[in-house]
Amino acid sequence: MKAVVCVKQTPSTTATFTVSGDSEVSWEDAGSGKPNVVNPWDEYTVEEGIRLKENHGATDVVALTFGAESSIDVLRTSLAMGCTSAVQVTDSALDGLGNLDSAKVLAAAIDKIGDVNIVICGKQAIDGDSGVTPVMLAKTLGWTPLTFVSAIKEVSDDSITVERTIESGKQEVSTSMPVVISVVNEINEPRYPSFMGIRKANKAQVPVWTAGDLDVDVSADNTKVSWSKVYAPPAREGEVEMIEGDDAAELAEALVDKLLEEKVL
Amino acid sequence: MSGVFVYVESRNGQMVSVSGEVLGAAKKIAEELDEEVTAVVIGSDVEAVAETAFDLGADEVIGADDEALANYRLETYGPILTEIVNENEPDAVFIGATTQGRDLSAWLAVDTDAGLIADAVDLRVEDERVVATRPVYAGKLLCDAVIEDGLQIISLRARAFPAAESTGESGDAEWIDADVADTDTEVLGESAKEGGVSLSDANLIVSGGRGVGGPEGFDPLRSLAGVMGAAVGSSRAAVDAGWIPYEHQVGQTGKTVSPDLYMAFGISGAIQHQAGMRTSKLIVAINKDEDAPIFGLAHYGIVGDLFEIAPALEAEFKSRLG
Repeated sequence: MKAVVCVKQTPSTTATFTVSGDSEVSWEDAGSGKPNVVNPWDEYTVEEGIRLKENHGATDVVALTFGAESSIDVLRTSLAMGCTSAVQVTDSALDGLGNLDSAKVLAAAIDKIGDVNIVICGKQAIDGDSGVTPVMLAKTLGWTPLTFVSAIKEVSDDSITVERTIESGKQEVSTSMPVVISVVNEINEPRYPSFMGIRKANKAQVPVWTAGDLDVDVSADNTKVSWSKVYAPPAREGEVEMIEGDDAAELAEALVDKLLEEKVL
Repeated sequence: MSGVFVYVESRNGQMVSVSGEVLGAAKKIAEELDEEVTAVVIGSDVEAVAETAFDLGADEVIGADDEALANYRLETYGPILTEIVNENEPDAVFIGATTQGRDLSAWLAVDTDAGLIADAVDLRVEDERVVATRPVYAGKLLCDAVIEDGLQIISLRARAFPAAESTGESGDAEWIDADVADTDTEVLGESAKEGGVSLSDANLIVSGGRGVGGPEGFDPLRSLAGVMGAAVGSSRAAVDAGWIPYEHQVGQTGKTVSPDLYMAFGISGAIQHQAGMRTSKLIVAINKDEDAPIFGLAHYGIVGDLFEIAPALEAEFKSRLG
Protein backbone atom coordinates (compact mmCIF):
# COMPACT_ATOMS: atom_id res chain seq x y z
CA MET A 1 0.00 0.00 0.00
CA LYS A 2 1.25 3.43 -0.93
CA ALA A 3 -0.10 6.51 0.83
CA VAL A 4 0.22 10.20 0.06
CA VAL A 5 -0.37 12.74 2.81
CA CYS A 6 -1.20 16.28 1.63
CA VAL A 7 0.35 18.91 3.87
CA LYS A 8 -0.12 22.65 3.56
CA GLN A 9 1.91 25.47 4.99
CA THR A 10 -0.30 28.04 6.73
CA PRO A 11 0.12 31.02 9.04
CA SER A 12 0.55 29.93 12.65
CA THR A 13 -2.55 29.92 14.83
CA THR A 14 -1.11 32.75 16.93
CA ALA A 15 -0.18 34.92 13.94
CA THR A 16 -1.52 38.46 13.80
CA PHE A 17 -2.63 39.89 10.49
CA THR A 18 -2.31 43.24 8.79
CA VAL A 19 -4.21 44.37 5.74
CA SER A 20 -2.66 47.19 3.75
CA GLY A 21 -3.41 49.00 0.52
CA ASP A 22 -5.35 46.93 -1.94
CA SER A 23 -6.36 44.08 0.38
CA GLU A 24 -2.71 43.04 0.72
CA VAL A 25 -2.48 40.59 3.64
CA SER A 26 0.64 40.03 5.71
CA TRP A 27 1.20 38.33 9.05
CA GLU A 28 3.74 37.83 11.77
CA ASP A 29 4.03 35.88 14.96
CA ALA A 30 5.92 37.92 17.47
CA GLY A 31 5.51 35.31 20.20
CA SER A 32 6.95 32.22 18.54
CA GLY A 33 8.86 33.95 15.75
CA LYS A 34 7.50 31.27 13.41
CA PRO A 35 4.86 32.90 11.25
CA ASN A 36 4.32 29.76 9.14
CA VAL A 37 3.59 26.25 10.33
CA VAL A 38 2.20 22.91 9.22
CA ASN A 39 -1.55 23.48 8.87
CA PRO A 40 -2.72 22.23 12.31
CA TRP A 41 -5.34 19.91 10.76
CA ASP A 42 -2.57 18.34 8.65
CA GLU A 43 -0.62 17.20 11.71
CA TYR A 44 -3.35 14.56 12.04
CA THR A 45 -2.99 13.79 8.33
CA VAL A 46 0.72 13.06 8.65
CA GLU A 47 0.24 11.02 11.83
CA GLU A 48 -2.46 8.87 10.22
CA GLY A 49 -0.22 8.25 7.20
CA ILE A 50 2.59 7.07 9.45
CA ARG A 51 0.16 4.81 11.31
CA LEU A 52 -0.79 3.20 7.98
CA LYS A 53 2.87 2.23 7.70
CA GLU A 54 3.19 1.07 11.30
CA ASN A 55 -0.15 -0.74 11.66
CA HIS A 56 -1.41 -1.57 8.19
CA GLY A 57 1.69 -2.45 6.21
CA ALA A 58 1.89 0.64 4.01
CA THR A 59 5.29 0.58 2.30
CA ASP A 60 5.45 4.25 1.33
CA VAL A 61 4.08 7.34 3.01
CA VAL A 62 4.83 10.30 0.77
CA ALA A 63 4.33 13.82 2.11
CA LEU A 64 3.17 16.15 -0.66
CA THR A 65 2.91 19.91 -0.50
CA PHE A 66 1.98 22.54 -3.04
CA GLY A 67 2.91 26.06 -2.08
CA ALA A 68 5.59 28.70 -1.82
CA GLU A 69 9.29 27.79 -1.75
CA SER A 70 9.23 28.08 2.04
CA SER A 71 6.76 25.18 2.19
CA ILE A 72 9.74 22.82 2.15
CA ASP A 73 9.62 23.32 5.94
CA VAL A 74 6.35 21.41 6.30
CA LEU A 75 7.88 18.50 4.38
CA ARG A 76 10.91 18.47 6.69
CA THR A 77 8.52 18.28 9.64
CA SER A 78 6.55 15.47 7.97
CA LEU A 79 9.75 13.53 7.24
CA ALA A 80 10.96 14.07 10.80
CA MET A 81 7.68 12.62 12.09
CA GLY A 82 8.17 9.50 9.96
CA CYS A 83 7.04 9.93 6.35
CA THR A 84 9.22 7.82 4.03
CA SER A 85 9.68 10.46 1.34
CA ALA A 86 8.42 13.86 0.25
CA VAL A 87 7.62 15.87 -2.86
CA GLN A 88 7.33 19.64 -3.15
CA VAL A 89 5.40 21.32 -5.94
CA THR A 90 6.35 24.97 -6.19
CA ASP A 91 6.39 27.33 -9.15
CA SER A 92 5.58 31.02 -9.38
CA ALA A 93 3.67 30.13 -12.55
CA LEU A 94 1.22 28.28 -10.27
CA ASP A 95 0.64 31.19 -7.88
CA GLY A 96 -2.89 32.39 -7.26
CA LEU A 97 -4.78 29.33 -8.48
CA GLY A 98 -8.39 28.74 -7.45
CA ASN A 99 -9.57 25.78 -5.37
CA LEU A 100 -10.26 23.45 -8.26
CA ASP A 101 -7.05 24.21 -10.13
CA SER A 102 -5.07 23.68 -6.92
CA ALA A 103 -6.74 20.28 -6.56
CA LYS A 104 -5.77 19.54 -10.18
CA VAL A 105 -2.12 20.31 -9.39
CA LEU A 106 -2.21 17.95 -6.41
CA ALA A 107 -3.91 15.28 -8.54
CA ALA A 108 -1.24 15.60 -11.24
CA ALA A 109 1.49 15.23 -8.62
CA ILE A 110 -0.21 12.14 -7.15
CA ASP A 111 -0.42 10.72 -10.67
CA LYS A 112 3.29 11.31 -11.13
CA ILE A 113 4.14 9.74 -7.77
CA GLY A 114 2.30 6.70 -9.13
CA ASP A 115 0.66 3.53 -7.75
CA VAL A 116 -0.96 5.42 -4.86
CA ASN A 117 -3.84 3.64 -3.04
CA ILE A 118 -4.84 6.26 -0.52
CA VAL A 119 -4.50 10.03 -0.16
CA ILE A 120 -5.03 11.64 3.22
CA CYS A 121 -5.90 15.34 3.67
CA GLY A 122 -6.82 17.44 6.68
CA LYS A 123 -10.45 18.49 6.88
CA GLN A 124 -9.51 22.05 5.97
CA ALA A 125 -6.60 24.50 6.05
CA ILE A 126 -6.70 27.29 8.61
CA ASP A 127 -5.97 30.01 6.04
CA GLY A 128 -8.73 29.59 3.44
CA ASP A 129 -10.92 27.44 5.72
CA SER A 130 -12.99 26.28 2.74
CA GLY A 131 -12.61 22.53 3.31
CA VAL A 132 -13.39 21.66 -0.31
CA THR A 133 -10.03 20.36 -1.56
CA PRO A 134 -10.47 16.69 -0.52
CA VAL A 135 -13.65 16.23 -2.58
CA MET A 136 -12.29 18.24 -5.52
CA LEU A 137 -9.10 16.16 -5.45
CA ALA A 138 -11.03 12.87 -5.29
CA LYS A 139 -13.23 13.86 -8.22
CA THR A 140 -10.26 14.99 -10.29
CA LEU A 141 -8.51 11.67 -9.63
CA GLY A 142 -11.76 9.75 -10.18
CA TRP A 143 -11.39 8.17 -6.72
CA THR A 144 -13.88 7.80 -3.90
CA PRO A 145 -13.97 10.65 -1.35
CA LEU A 146 -14.44 9.83 2.34
CA THR A 147 -14.58 13.02 4.37
CA PHE A 148 -14.51 13.88 8.09
CA VAL A 149 -12.96 10.52 8.99
CA SER A 150 -12.46 10.01 12.73
CA ALA A 151 -11.14 6.40 12.60
CA ILE A 152 -9.81 3.96 10.04
CA LYS A 153 -11.30 0.64 11.12
CA GLU A 154 -9.90 -1.63 8.42
CA VAL A 155 -7.82 -0.99 5.36
CA SER A 156 -6.27 -3.19 2.68
CA ASP A 157 -5.10 -2.70 -0.89
CA ASP A 158 -8.68 -3.34 -2.03
CA SER A 159 -11.04 -1.84 0.52
CA ILE A 160 -11.38 0.46 3.50
CA THR A 161 -13.83 0.87 6.37
CA VAL A 162 -13.90 4.14 8.27
CA GLU A 163 -15.88 5.96 10.90
CA ARG A 164 -17.01 9.45 9.89
CA THR A 165 -18.00 12.14 12.36
CA ILE A 166 -20.98 14.14 11.15
CA GLU A 167 -23.39 16.54 12.87
CA SER A 168 -25.75 13.80 14.02
CA GLY A 169 -23.08 11.47 15.37
CA LYS A 170 -20.90 8.73 13.85
CA GLN A 171 -21.33 6.90 10.59
CA GLU A 172 -19.48 3.73 9.59
CA VAL A 173 -18.77 3.51 5.87
CA SER A 174 -16.91 1.04 3.68
CA THR A 175 -15.76 1.41 0.10
CA SER A 176 -13.22 0.14 -2.38
CA MET A 177 -9.79 1.65 -2.94
CA PRO A 178 -8.37 3.96 -4.12
CA VAL A 179 -9.72 6.71 -1.87
CA VAL A 180 -9.11 10.28 -0.81
CA ILE A 181 -9.93 10.73 2.85
CA SER A 182 -10.06 13.85 4.98
CA VAL A 183 -9.46 13.45 8.69
CA VAL A 184 -10.62 15.24 11.84
CA ASN A 185 -8.75 15.72 15.13
CA GLU A 186 -10.33 12.80 16.91
CA ILE A 187 -8.52 10.35 14.66
CA ASN A 188 -5.20 10.37 16.50
CA GLU A 189 -2.70 12.21 18.66
CA PRO A 190 0.10 13.51 16.42
CA ARG A 191 3.59 12.61 17.57
CA TYR A 192 6.47 15.03 17.97
CA PRO A 193 9.36 14.60 15.54
CA SER A 194 12.21 12.63 17.13
CA PHE A 195 15.74 13.99 17.33
CA MET A 196 16.94 11.30 14.91
CA GLY A 197 13.98 12.05 12.68
CA ILE A 198 14.88 15.72 12.50
CA ARG A 199 18.49 14.91 11.58
CA LYS A 200 17.36 12.51 8.88
CA ALA A 201 14.79 14.95 7.54
CA ASN A 202 17.35 17.73 7.26
CA LYS A 203 19.56 15.49 5.11
CA ALA A 204 16.77 14.12 2.93
CA GLN A 205 16.70 15.05 -0.76
CA VAL A 206 13.25 16.37 -1.61
CA PRO A 207 12.36 16.49 -5.30
CA VAL A 208 10.92 19.84 -6.38
CA TRP A 209 8.41 19.73 -9.21
CA THR A 210 7.30 22.71 -11.26
CA ALA A 211 4.38 23.16 -13.65
CA GLY A 212 6.55 21.76 -16.45
CA ASP A 213 6.99 18.48 -14.57
CA LEU A 214 3.25 17.95 -14.24
CA ASP A 215 0.63 17.09 -16.81
CA VAL A 216 -1.86 19.75 -15.80
CA ASP A 217 -3.76 22.56 -17.47
CA VAL A 218 -4.42 25.31 -14.94
CA SER A 219 -4.37 29.09 -14.86
CA ALA A 220 -4.60 31.89 -12.33
CA ASP A 221 -7.07 33.48 -14.76
CA ASN A 222 -9.46 30.68 -13.92
CA THR A 223 -9.96 31.35 -10.19
CA LYS A 224 -13.68 32.01 -10.77
CA VAL A 225 -13.90 33.63 -7.35
CA SER A 226 -12.49 37.09 -6.84
CA TRP A 227 -11.76 38.41 -3.39
CA SER A 228 -12.81 41.96 -3.96
CA LYS A 229 -11.95 43.13 -0.46
CA VAL A 230 -10.13 41.71 2.57
CA TYR A 231 -10.45 43.51 5.89
CA ALA A 232 -10.26 43.14 9.64
CA PRO A 233 -13.62 42.35 11.25
CA PRO A 234 -15.16 45.45 12.79
CA ALA A 235 -14.21 45.76 16.43
CA ARG A 236 -17.03 45.07 18.83
CA GLU A 237 -18.68 48.28 19.80
CA GLY A 238 -18.67 49.32 23.41
CA GLU A 239 -16.68 48.18 26.39
CA VAL A 240 -17.27 45.20 28.60
CA GLU A 241 -19.67 45.99 31.42
CA MET A 242 -18.34 44.53 34.64
CA ILE A 243 -20.99 43.16 36.97
CA GLU A 244 -20.44 44.20 40.57
CA GLY A 245 -21.75 42.62 43.75
CA ASP A 246 -20.83 41.67 47.29
CA ASP A 247 -21.15 37.93 46.89
CA ALA A 248 -21.81 35.25 44.29
CA ALA A 249 -25.59 35.39 44.77
CA GLU A 250 -25.68 39.15 44.15
CA LEU A 251 -23.43 38.83 41.10
CA ALA A 252 -25.58 36.03 39.72
CA GLU A 253 -28.77 38.00 40.25
CA ALA A 254 -27.33 41.10 38.54
CA LEU A 255 -26.06 39.07 35.58
CA VAL A 256 -29.33 37.21 35.08
CA ASP A 257 -31.12 40.61 35.14
CA LYS A 258 -28.91 41.71 32.25
CA LEU A 259 -29.39 38.48 30.31
CA LEU A 260 -33.17 38.73 30.62
CA GLU A 261 -32.98 42.36 29.47
CA GLU A 262 -30.93 41.27 26.44
CA LYS A 263 -33.61 38.68 25.65
CA VAL A 264 -31.11 35.92 24.97
CA LEU A 265 -32.83 33.44 27.28
CA MET B 1 -30.12 31.19 -16.36
CA SER B 2 -32.39 32.22 -13.59
CA GLY B 3 -33.45 31.40 -10.09
CA VAL B 4 -31.85 30.80 -6.72
CA PHE B 5 -31.69 27.12 -5.79
CA VAL B 6 -31.34 25.89 -2.23
CA TYR B 7 -30.15 22.39 -1.42
CA VAL B 8 -32.31 21.40 1.53
CA GLU B 9 -30.65 18.93 3.89
CA SER B 10 -32.81 16.55 5.86
CA ARG B 11 -32.30 14.01 8.59
CA ASN B 12 -34.84 11.33 9.46
CA GLY B 13 -37.41 12.91 7.16
CA GLN B 14 -37.08 16.39 8.67
CA MET B 15 -35.37 19.49 7.39
CA VAL B 16 -32.24 20.38 9.37
CA SER B 17 -32.30 23.84 10.95
CA VAL B 18 -29.54 25.38 8.83
CA SER B 19 -31.60 24.75 5.68
CA GLY B 20 -34.34 26.97 7.07
CA GLU B 21 -31.73 29.70 7.49
CA VAL B 22 -30.46 29.16 3.93
CA LEU B 23 -34.01 29.39 2.58
CA GLY B 24 -34.46 32.69 4.43
CA ALA B 25 -31.22 34.11 2.99
CA ALA B 26 -32.09 32.82 -0.50
CA LYS B 27 -35.50 34.49 -0.37
CA LYS B 28 -33.95 37.89 0.34
CA ILE B 29 -31.37 37.58 -2.42
CA ALA B 30 -33.96 36.25 -4.89
CA GLU B 31 -36.22 39.22 -4.20
CA GLU B 32 -33.38 41.63 -4.95
CA LEU B 33 -32.66 39.76 -8.19
CA ASP B 34 -36.37 39.52 -8.98
CA GLU B 35 -36.09 35.74 -9.18
CA GLU B 36 -37.68 32.73 -7.54
CA VAL B 37 -36.41 30.31 -4.93
CA THR B 38 -36.40 26.61 -5.72
CA ALA B 39 -35.68 24.06 -3.01
CA VAL B 40 -33.92 20.82 -3.96
CA VAL B 41 -34.81 17.88 -1.74
CA ILE B 42 -33.02 14.52 -1.98
CA GLY B 43 -33.65 11.45 0.17
CA SER B 44 -36.15 8.74 1.01
CA ASP B 45 -39.59 9.57 2.39
CA VAL B 46 -38.94 13.28 2.12
CA GLU B 47 -42.41 14.57 1.15
CA ALA B 48 -42.66 16.32 4.51
CA VAL B 49 -39.36 18.07 3.84
CA ALA B 50 -40.75 19.43 0.58
CA GLU B 51 -43.82 20.70 2.46
CA THR B 52 -41.60 22.43 5.00
CA ALA B 53 -39.68 24.05 2.15
CA PHE B 54 -42.90 25.50 0.67
CA ASP B 55 -43.92 26.70 4.12
CA LEU B 56 -40.53 28.41 4.55
CA GLY B 57 -40.90 30.37 1.34
CA ALA B 58 -39.73 28.15 -1.51
CA ASP B 59 -41.60 29.00 -4.73
CA GLU B 60 -40.84 25.60 -6.24
CA VAL B 61 -39.53 22.29 -4.96
CA ILE B 62 -37.71 19.78 -7.11
CA GLY B 63 -37.00 16.50 -5.43
CA ALA B 64 -35.73 12.96 -5.76
CA ASP B 65 -37.34 10.46 -3.41
CA ASP B 66 -36.01 6.91 -3.56
CA GLU B 67 -35.40 4.15 -1.02
CA ALA B 68 -31.85 3.86 -2.34
CA LEU B 69 -31.30 7.43 -1.12
CA ALA B 70 -32.21 6.62 2.48
CA ASN B 71 -28.61 7.00 3.61
CA TYR B 72 -26.74 10.05 2.44
CA ARG B 73 -23.76 9.16 0.29
CA LEU B 74 -21.92 11.82 -1.67
CA GLU B 75 -21.64 9.55 -4.71
CA THR B 76 -25.41 9.08 -4.94
CA TYR B 77 -26.61 12.53 -3.88
CA GLY B 78 -23.93 14.45 -5.80
CA PRO B 79 -24.90 13.34 -9.33
CA ILE B 80 -28.60 14.02 -8.65
CA LEU B 81 -27.88 17.55 -7.46
CA THR B 82 -25.69 18.09 -10.54
CA GLU B 83 -28.44 16.76 -12.82
CA ILE B 84 -31.08 19.05 -11.31
CA VAL B 85 -28.79 22.08 -11.56
CA ASN B 86 -27.78 21.28 -15.16
CA GLU B 87 -31.42 20.81 -16.18
CA ASN B 88 -32.59 24.09 -14.67
CA GLU B 89 -29.54 26.36 -14.97
CA PRO B 90 -30.11 28.54 -11.91
CA ASP B 91 -28.09 31.71 -11.25
CA ALA B 92 -27.03 30.52 -7.83
CA VAL B 93 -27.08 27.47 -5.58
CA PHE B 94 -27.04 28.00 -1.80
CA ILE B 95 -26.17 25.17 0.59
CA GLY B 96 -25.75 25.04 4.39
CA ALA B 97 -22.05 24.65 5.24
CA THR B 98 -22.51 21.38 7.11
CA THR B 99 -20.34 18.31 6.53
CA GLN B 100 -22.82 17.24 3.85
CA GLY B 101 -23.06 20.75 2.39
CA ARG B 102 -19.30 21.22 2.17
CA ASP B 103 -18.99 17.96 0.25
CA LEU B 104 -21.95 18.50 -2.08
CA SER B 105 -20.93 22.08 -2.91
CA ALA B 106 -17.44 20.88 -3.89
CA TRP B 107 -18.93 18.02 -5.93
CA LEU B 108 -21.25 20.38 -7.78
CA ALA B 109 -18.50 22.95 -8.39
CA VAL B 110 -16.32 20.32 -10.10
CA ASP B 111 -19.19 18.91 -12.19
CA THR B 112 -20.37 22.33 -13.37
CA ASP B 113 -16.90 23.94 -13.49
CA ALA B 114 -18.42 26.78 -11.46
CA GLY B 115 -17.13 29.12 -8.78
CA LEU B 116 -17.61 28.16 -5.14
CA ILE B 117 -17.54 30.35 -2.04
CA ALA B 118 -17.56 28.41 1.22
CA ASP B 119 -18.91 29.43 4.61
CA ALA B 120 -20.55 32.77 3.87
CA VAL B 121 -21.73 34.77 6.89
CA ASP B 122 -23.35 37.63 4.96
CA LEU B 123 -24.78 38.07 1.46
CA ARG B 124 -25.79 41.02 -0.68
CA VAL B 125 -26.43 41.78 -4.33
CA GLU B 126 -24.23 44.10 -6.41
CA ASP B 127 -24.54 44.43 -10.20
CA GLU B 128 -26.87 41.42 -10.34
CA ARG B 129 -24.20 39.22 -8.70
CA VAL B 130 -24.09 37.87 -5.15
CA VAL B 131 -21.35 39.29 -2.93
CA ALA B 132 -20.57 36.92 -0.08
CA THR B 133 -18.71 37.90 3.06
CA ARG B 134 -16.73 35.03 4.54
CA PRO B 135 -14.20 34.68 7.33
CA VAL B 136 -10.63 33.76 6.42
CA TYR B 137 -7.68 32.94 8.68
CA ALA B 138 -10.15 31.58 11.21
CA GLY B 139 -12.15 34.77 11.30
CA LYS B 140 -9.18 37.00 12.01
CA LEU B 141 -10.03 38.64 8.68
CA LEU B 142 -13.14 38.90 6.54
CA CYS B 143 -13.25 38.81 2.78
CA ASP B 144 -15.90 39.93 0.32
CA ALA B 145 -15.92 37.40 -2.48
CA VAL B 146 -17.81 37.36 -5.74
CA ILE B 147 -18.15 34.85 -8.56
CA GLU B 148 -18.09 37.08 -11.61
CA ASP B 149 -19.35 34.67 -14.28
CA GLY B 150 -21.64 31.69 -14.52
CA LEU B 151 -23.20 29.64 -11.76
CA GLN B 152 -22.61 30.93 -8.23
CA ILE B 153 -22.28 28.15 -5.62
CA ILE B 154 -22.23 29.44 -2.07
CA SER B 155 -22.29 27.55 1.21
CA LEU B 156 -23.72 29.41 4.23
CA ARG B 157 -22.51 29.08 7.80
CA ALA B 158 -25.05 27.77 10.29
CA ARG B 159 -26.63 30.37 12.60
CA ALA B 160 -25.22 33.29 10.60
CA PHE B 161 -28.59 34.03 8.94
CA PRO B 162 -32.05 34.31 10.51
CA ALA B 163 -34.31 31.34 9.80
CA ALA B 164 -37.09 31.81 7.27
CA GLU B 165 -40.48 32.37 8.83
CA SER B 166 -43.44 30.11 8.23
CA THR B 167 -45.65 31.44 5.43
CA GLY B 168 -48.43 28.86 5.62
CA GLU B 169 -47.97 28.31 1.89
CA SER B 170 -48.03 24.89 0.30
CA GLY B 171 -47.41 23.56 -3.18
CA ASP B 172 -46.79 20.56 -5.39
CA ALA B 173 -43.23 19.40 -5.58
CA GLU B 174 -41.83 18.15 -8.86
CA TRP B 175 -40.46 14.67 -8.15
CA ILE B 176 -37.93 13.50 -10.70
CA ASP B 177 -37.04 9.91 -11.56
CA ALA B 178 -33.40 10.07 -10.63
CA ASP B 179 -30.93 7.38 -11.54
CA VAL B 180 -29.23 6.43 -8.31
CA ALA B 181 -25.54 6.00 -9.16
CA ASP B 182 -23.83 2.68 -8.59
CA THR B 183 -21.20 2.93 -5.92
CA ASP B 184 -19.09 0.58 -3.81
CA THR B 185 -19.64 2.87 -0.85
CA GLU B 186 -21.89 1.37 1.79
CA VAL B 187 -23.17 2.89 4.99
CA LEU B 188 -22.72 0.10 7.55
CA GLY B 189 -24.28 1.90 10.47
CA GLU B 190 -24.93 5.17 12.21
CA SER B 191 -24.90 6.05 15.85
CA ALA B 192 -26.50 9.16 17.23
CA LYS B 193 -24.50 11.43 19.45
CA GLU B 194 -24.94 10.87 23.15
CA GLY B 195 -27.45 13.20 24.80
CA GLY B 196 -26.98 16.89 25.35
CA VAL B 197 -27.31 19.80 22.98
CA SER B 198 -25.05 19.89 19.93
CA LEU B 199 -22.56 22.77 20.01
CA SER B 200 -23.03 23.89 16.41
CA ASP B 201 -26.81 24.18 16.75
CA ALA B 202 -26.88 25.59 20.27
CA ASN B 203 -28.56 28.90 21.14
CA LEU B 204 -26.78 28.94 24.49
CA ILE B 205 -23.30 27.67 25.30
CA VAL B 206 -21.65 27.31 28.70
CA SER B 207 -17.93 26.85 28.17
CA GLY B 208 -14.99 26.05 30.46
CA GLY B 209 -11.26 26.48 30.15
CA ARG B 210 -8.05 25.99 32.08
CA GLY B 211 -9.66 27.68 35.06
CA VAL B 212 -11.95 24.72 35.75
CA GLY B 213 -8.82 22.94 37.00
CA GLY B 214 -9.72 19.33 36.19
CA PRO B 215 -12.30 16.96 34.74
CA GLU B 216 -14.60 17.35 37.75
CA GLY B 217 -14.40 21.14 37.31
CA PHE B 218 -16.84 20.74 34.42
CA ASP B 219 -19.51 19.30 36.76
CA PRO B 220 -20.90 22.67 37.93
CA LEU B 221 -20.84 23.92 34.33
CA ARG B 222 -22.72 20.83 33.06
CA SER B 223 -25.23 21.29 35.83
CA LEU B 224 -25.72 24.98 34.95
CA ALA B 225 -25.99 24.10 31.25
CA GLY B 226 -28.64 21.50 32.10
CA VAL B 227 -30.79 24.10 33.84
CA MET B 228 -30.34 26.60 31.00
CA GLY B 229 -30.77 24.08 28.17
CA ALA B 230 -27.29 25.05 26.97
CA ALA B 231 -24.57 23.03 25.25
CA VAL B 232 -21.21 22.58 26.98
CA GLY B 233 -18.11 23.92 25.27
CA SER B 234 -14.47 24.14 26.22
CA SER B 235 -11.19 25.73 25.29
CA ARG B 236 -8.39 23.74 23.72
CA ALA B 237 -6.42 23.84 26.98
CA ALA B 238 -9.10 21.79 28.76
CA VAL B 239 -9.29 19.28 25.89
CA ASP B 240 -5.51 18.92 25.66
CA ALA B 241 -5.41 18.32 29.42
CA GLY B 242 -7.85 15.44 28.90
CA TRP B 243 -10.60 16.99 31.04
CA ILE B 244 -13.29 16.87 28.35
CA PRO B 245 -13.55 15.19 24.91
CA TYR B 246 -12.49 16.97 21.75
CA GLU B 247 -16.06 17.26 20.42
CA HIS B 248 -16.60 20.04 22.98
CA GLN B 249 -13.68 22.16 21.76
CA VAL B 250 -14.51 25.65 20.53
CA GLY B 251 -11.84 27.51 18.59
CA GLN B 252 -9.64 27.59 15.56
CA THR B 253 -8.97 23.85 15.58
CA GLY B 254 -12.31 23.00 17.15
CA LYS B 255 -15.81 24.11 16.36
CA THR B 256 -16.84 27.57 15.25
CA VAL B 257 -19.99 28.61 17.07
CA SER B 258 -22.24 31.67 17.10
CA PRO B 259 -24.87 31.15 19.77
CA ASP B 260 -27.12 33.88 21.15
CA LEU B 261 -25.23 33.61 24.44
CA TYR B 262 -21.69 32.32 25.08
CA MET B 263 -20.64 32.09 28.72
CA ALA B 264 -16.89 31.61 29.16
CA PHE B 265 -15.88 30.26 32.57
CA GLY B 266 -12.17 30.26 33.36
CA ILE B 267 -11.22 30.81 29.73
CA SER B 268 -8.44 33.36 29.27
CA GLY B 269 -9.49 33.98 25.66
CA ALA B 270 -6.45 33.12 23.54
CA ILE B 271 -6.71 34.35 19.97
CA GLN B 272 -7.34 30.76 18.78
CA HIS B 273 -10.33 30.43 21.11
CA GLN B 274 -11.70 33.82 20.08
CA ALA B 275 -11.60 32.68 16.45
CA GLY B 276 -14.20 30.04 17.27
CA MET B 277 -16.67 32.15 19.29
CA ARG B 278 -16.22 35.82 18.46
CA THR B 279 -19.40 35.94 16.38
CA SER B 280 -21.53 34.93 19.38
CA LYS B 281 -24.27 37.50 19.82
CA LEU B 282 -23.72 38.03 23.53
CA ILE B 283 -20.55 37.03 25.38
CA VAL B 284 -20.23 36.76 29.14
CA ALA B 285 -16.85 36.12 30.76
CA ILE B 286 -16.29 34.84 34.28
CA ASN B 287 -12.63 34.81 35.24
CA LYS B 288 -10.44 35.27 38.31
CA ASP B 289 -7.95 37.30 36.32
CA GLU B 290 -9.30 40.77 35.58
CA ASP B 291 -6.67 41.18 32.85
CA ALA B 292 -7.76 38.06 30.92
CA PRO B 293 -8.07 38.90 27.19
CA ILE B 294 -11.58 37.40 27.13
CA PHE B 295 -12.86 40.56 28.86
CA GLY B 296 -11.82 42.51 25.75
CA LEU B 297 -14.37 40.57 23.74
CA ALA B 298 -17.09 40.13 26.35
CA HIS B 299 -20.22 42.23 26.74
CA TYR B 300 -20.56 41.41 30.42
CA GLY B 301 -17.83 40.30 32.80
CA ILE B 302 -17.54 39.02 36.33
CA VAL B 303 -14.20 38.87 38.11
CA GLY B 304 -14.59 35.99 40.49
CA ASP B 305 -14.36 32.30 41.28
CA LEU B 306 -16.28 30.21 38.77
CA PHE B 307 -16.91 27.55 41.41
CA GLU B 308 -18.95 30.11 43.36
CA ILE B 309 -20.50 31.93 40.43
CA ALA B 310 -21.67 28.89 38.42
CA PRO B 311 -23.77 27.35 41.25
CA ALA B 312 -25.13 30.80 42.16
CA LEU B 313 -26.18 31.34 38.54
CA GLU B 314 -27.77 27.91 38.47
CA ALA B 315 -29.81 28.73 41.57
CA GLU B 316 -30.78 32.11 40.11
CA PHE B 317 -31.87 30.58 36.78
CA LYS B 318 -33.87 27.92 38.60
CA SER B 319 -35.79 30.49 40.62
CA ARG B 320 -36.28 32.95 37.72
CA LEU B 321 -37.02 30.56 34.87
CA GLY B 322 -39.05 28.24 37.07
